[in-house]
Amino acid sequence: MISGRNPMKDMVAIAAAATTGFVPHNSGRSQASFVAEASIRVLRDCGLTVSDVDGICGSSPSAATVQKMLGIPDVTWFANPSIPFVNHLAAAVSAVHSGLCDTVLVYHGAYRLPWNTASSLRDPFRRGSSMGLGVGGPGPETIAGAVGYTAWASRYMHEHRVPKEHFGYVAINDRTNAAANPASAMREPITMNDYLAARMIRWPLCLLDMDVPVDGADAFVVTTAERARDLPHPPVLVHAAALGMIDLNEEDQAPGLDRNGQHVTVEALKAKSDFWIDDIDVYFPYDGFTIITLNWFENAGFCGPGEAGAFIEQHWDTASNRILINGRIPVNPHGGSLSEGATQASGHVREAVHQLQGLAGPRQVPDARRALVTAGGFFFNAQGVMLRRE
Amino acid sequence: MASVANRPNMASAANSASDEELVARFPGHPVDHDSAAHYRGRLTRQLLVHRCAACGIWHHPPKPVCPACWSNAVEAREVSGNGTVHLVVFLHQGPPAAGVDYSTPYPVVTVELDEQPGLRFTSTVVGSANDTIVIGCRVVLDWIERDSTPLPVFRLVDPESQEAAFGSDTGVKP
Repeated sequence: MISGRNPMKDMVAIAAAATTGFVPHNSGRSQASFVAEASIRVLRDCGLTVSDVDGICGSSPSAATVQKMLGIPDVTWFANPSIPFVNHLAAAVSAVHSGLCDTVLVYHGAYRLPWNTASSLRDPFRRGSSMGLGVGGPGPETIAGAVGYTAWASRYMHEHRVPKEHFGYVAINDRTNAAANPASAMREPITMNDYLAARMIRWPLCLLDMDVPVDGADAFVVTTAERARDLPHPPVLVHAAALGMIDLNEEDQAPGLDRNGQHVTVEALKAKSDFWIDDIDVYFPYDGFTIITLNWFENAGFCGPGEAGAFIEQHWDTASNRILINGRIPVNPHGGSLSEGATQASGHVREAVHQLQGLAGPRQVPDARRALVTAGGFFFNAQGVMLRRE
Repeated sequence: MASVANRPNMASAANSASDEELVARFPGHPVDHDSAAHYRGRLTRQLLVHRCAACGIWHHPPKPVCPACWSNAVEAREVSGNGTVHLVVFLHQGPPAAGVDYSTPYPVVTVELDEQPGLRFTSTVVGSANDTIVIGCRVVLDWIERDSTPLPVFRLVDPESQEAAFGSDTGVKP
C-alpha cells in the first residue's frame, strides 16, 4: 500500500551541508577523523555550538562515538541507519518533525573498506571496518552485494539489446561534471574509448562502471524550517522522502528490473509531493553502478524501460560533454559516486543542498529551486528525497 | 501449532553432522536454525530448498516461516536442480577460493529452478566454455568438492555447449 499522507512536508529543513572532500587512496586517517572534520565544519558554518545539537544520526562511527568525540553534552535522540544516505536524512527529519529532538547533526563517513579495495585489505587499521551490510557466503558463487548489480546489468542488456555505450554515458557525464568540483576524487575527463577500454572487473561491468572507493565525509544540520530561517544560509525544505522496498529483496530472487524498490520509491514520492520531474532544476540519480542510473531514469519516468541510453543521447549537450535534460537540467553535477567518490548518496544530497542554497560555485544551476535525489539500487536500498528552496 | 523443535530440520536428508560440525564445514556461510537443513543436505549432495507443507510454495534462501501463508510448516525438500539461466556474470577477479583461477573469468549464474517460477539458486557452471553460457540456457545440477565439502553447481544441457567445452578453453567474454 502506498500512502500519500505527508504531514512533515516542508516542515523540516537542511540548514547547511559541508564536506571534507574525497580522496581515492588510503588517507592515513581514521573514518572518525573525517566525520569530525565535516561535523565541526558544518556546525561552525551555521554558527552553532555543541549545546545546540540534541540529535545525532549516522552510520559509522556510531552516534555514541560521534557524541563523545565532539563533546556534545546532551542528546534526546540518535540513530545509526544503514546506507544509502536518504535513510539517515529521513530518520532525522522525522525525528525533528515529531519532536524527538530539534536540531540533528547528520553525518556520513565514506571510507575505503577491505571488501572493495585490495589496498584497504592490506591496511591493518582498516581490516575491521565495515559498512554494516551483510554479504553472501565466502566463495564466489553468489550475487549478493555488489555482484548483484552486474548480474542485473547483464539481464538489462539481454532484455533490451542495448550496447555497453549506454552505460558509458553515465560514467562520462559524471567525470565531466567532477572537473568543476574540487571535492571530487577523480577529475580527469574520460572518453567513450577510455570507457570501453577500461579493465573488466565483473563482465559486463568494468572499472569505470563502478564507484570509486574514497576516504572523506559529509555532514549536515537538520532542524525545523522555523529555526533554519534564523541560521545563515537559505533553508532547504525536505518536501518528501521514501524508502522503497518489496518483499523479494534478495539480489537473486528480485522479480525483475520491472518491479523492485525503485518503483515503490517513485510511486511514494509522487503520491506525497506537489511536484515531479517536469518541475525540477537538478537531478541526482544514484550511480554506485552505471546500471542503477539507467534504471532510475526509466523508473522516474524520463523514458520507458530500456530507453535510458537513447534518452541520454537525445539530451546530451555536446558543447559541455554531459547530460543536460531539456538543455537545462544537469545530472549529478558534483560528479556522483563514479567520480566524486562512493559516498553512498551523502554527496548527492550535499550537492543538492548547495545547489538550492546558491552555494555550488562554478557548478551552480541558475536559480535552482527544486531537486530530486533518487538514491540506492534495486533491492533493499532504493530511496528518494525531494528538496526545495523556500 | 508447530514448535521450533519439529520445524524444518527434519528434512529428508538424514545427515547426522552436529550443529558444531556443520558450522565448521561451512565457514563464513549463514548457517543457522533456518538454513541448517539446507547445509546438511549439501553434505550428502542433496540440494534442499524450503517448501511450505501447508500451501506448497517454495522459497529461497531459507526463512523461518512461509512468506506466502505464514505457516511454520516449512520443510527443506530436495529439488531436481533442473532450470534455466536467468542471470549471468563472469568474474575477472573475486574472493579467493580453492580451484578458482580468475585468469579465465569465473562464471556465476542465477538459475530459475523448474519447481516454481521465480524460485532461483545461484552458483557456477562447470564443464562449458564461457561463451556458451548465456541467459536462457538450460542447466542440470551437479556437484563438485571444495575444501573437501560438496558444492552444488550447474552444467549446461545443450549438447553444442558441451562440445564447445571440450574444444576450446579460451572462452573469455568480451
